[in-house]
Amino acid sequence: MLSCNFFIHTAKAQQTQIRGFVDVDAAFADNKTSFSFGEQDLFITSDVSDRISFLGETVFKYSASSPTLFDVSMERVVIKINFTGNHNLLIGKHHTPVNYWNDTYHHGRVFFPTIYRPLLFSENIIPLHTTGISFSGHDLGKLKFGYDFMLGNGIGSGDVTDNDKFKSFTASVHFKPMKNLRIGGSFYNDIISKGSRKPHSNELLAQEIKQQLITGSVSFFNRKFEFLCEGTYAMNKSDSTGSASDLALYSYAGYRMFNRLVPYVRFDYLNYEANEIYYYNDNTKAFVGGIRYEINYLAVIKIEYQYTKYEKMAHSNTVSAQFAIGF
Amino acid sequence: MVQTAFLVLIFSFSGHAQEKTLSVISNVKGAPDEMTNAELKSILKGEKQRWSNSVPVVIALMKSTTDAGRGISKKIFEMDVDEFNKYWLALVFQGKAKAPYFFHSASELETFVTETPGAIGVIETPPSAKIRQISIDGKKSF
Repeated sequence: MLSCNFFIHTAKAQQTQIRGFVDVDAAFADNKTSFSFGEQDLFITSDVSDRISFLGETVFKYSASSPTLFDVSMERVVIKINFTGNHNLLIGKHHTPVNYWNDTYHHGRVFFPTIYRPLLFSENIIPLHTTGISFSGHDLGKLKFGYDFMLGNGIGSGDVTDNDKFKSFTASVHFKPMKNLRIGGSFYNDIISKGSRKPHSNELLAQEIKQQLITGSVSFFNRKFEFLCEGTYAMNKSDSTGSASDLALYSYAGYRMFNRLVPYVRFDYLNYEANEIYYYNDNTKAFVGGIRYEINYLAVIKIEYQYTKYEKMAHSNTVSAQFAIGF
Repeated sequence: MVQTAFLVLIFSFSGHAQEKTLSVISNVKGAPDEMTNAELKSILKGEKQRWSNSVPVVIALMKSTTDAGRGISKKIFEMDVDEFNKYWLALVFQGKAKAPYFFHSASELETFVTETPGAIGVIETPPSAKIRQISIDGKKSF
């Protein structure tokens, strides 16, 4: 009788939803136009009980190195336990809560204000994912204070095992002092073991790196104005090359016209110290200008131009278009 | 003729400008008897997971395809339907809140709120006498 009641209660409490995002793209660069499609992103949310819920995000995407030319990637697998009020324990694979973009837009291109992520992400300045455990709170008090404290396997680890004895630690806080404004800051600490793969490279680290990241972000989105600025100050220290300090930041601004049209600009800046050995050490600046047309909340078209100036590589000019939908 | 046209114009403007009154209803378990308009907005925007008595907050709203849903999103959330839907899709996608339950009719919404502990909902039509109504800034309807 008791078990019967348990199952009845569970069935009534459970609400499962499957939603998704996908985008098709076109880009003009090097005197040719290429059509493509981006990621097909499925996310599942399920309320297991009134205190336990699940969120999963799985991406299907093109991969030249896969025998089928496609990869399936588990981007988020999070079991959330609400232990009191707005305070939660989260276990699983997360987007590391180091800044606004990574913790807000995830893989939903329909939410992205620009076509592509800022260079701060594409150059892997911050660890995009962390598998571990975190405490998280939101909308506390008049300032709507929020926090995330996370312990994870850290950089170089896989999703199922840690590659070393060190754990990464993330501490992130934010608050909303007025409507539509969010200000945040975070600290990330990790020891990246010798033999870990470098970002954007098949090269393996020849020595251990002690990494600390300090990140700040300001976002303001209302019906007319959109502004987002984030910066990460990275310190990578090794025994042989000493400490290298790098700065990565971007600023985005948009202005809504005729309700659905948003012209926008973005500026990206990456600056590495000469003795940097972990990141790909190429100082880079990029300018992005574009227009976003929101057909509705599930269908967005963007057209943008990006000029990227590298210190070591040839400059690039790209015109891109994207049609992103949610379903 | 001109007088009739003038009257039609006046009535059409007044009808367009008129906003229907809203009532906030809740299950007997969960929500307090009264709250401020700011507290109501905060709750309906998914900023509170549990009531002070620990019962989980469950949000019940009219579908945004209904006239009532459109009116409620404009009056309470100060958003049009697309903004409102995008706001909630983003919040659920971020894992920061549980999605509200949406209903086609006020009677369906009332039944759900009556049967679900912690549920709170907003309707345009006057609620049935049996259901618990919450005062907002001291008023039963606003």
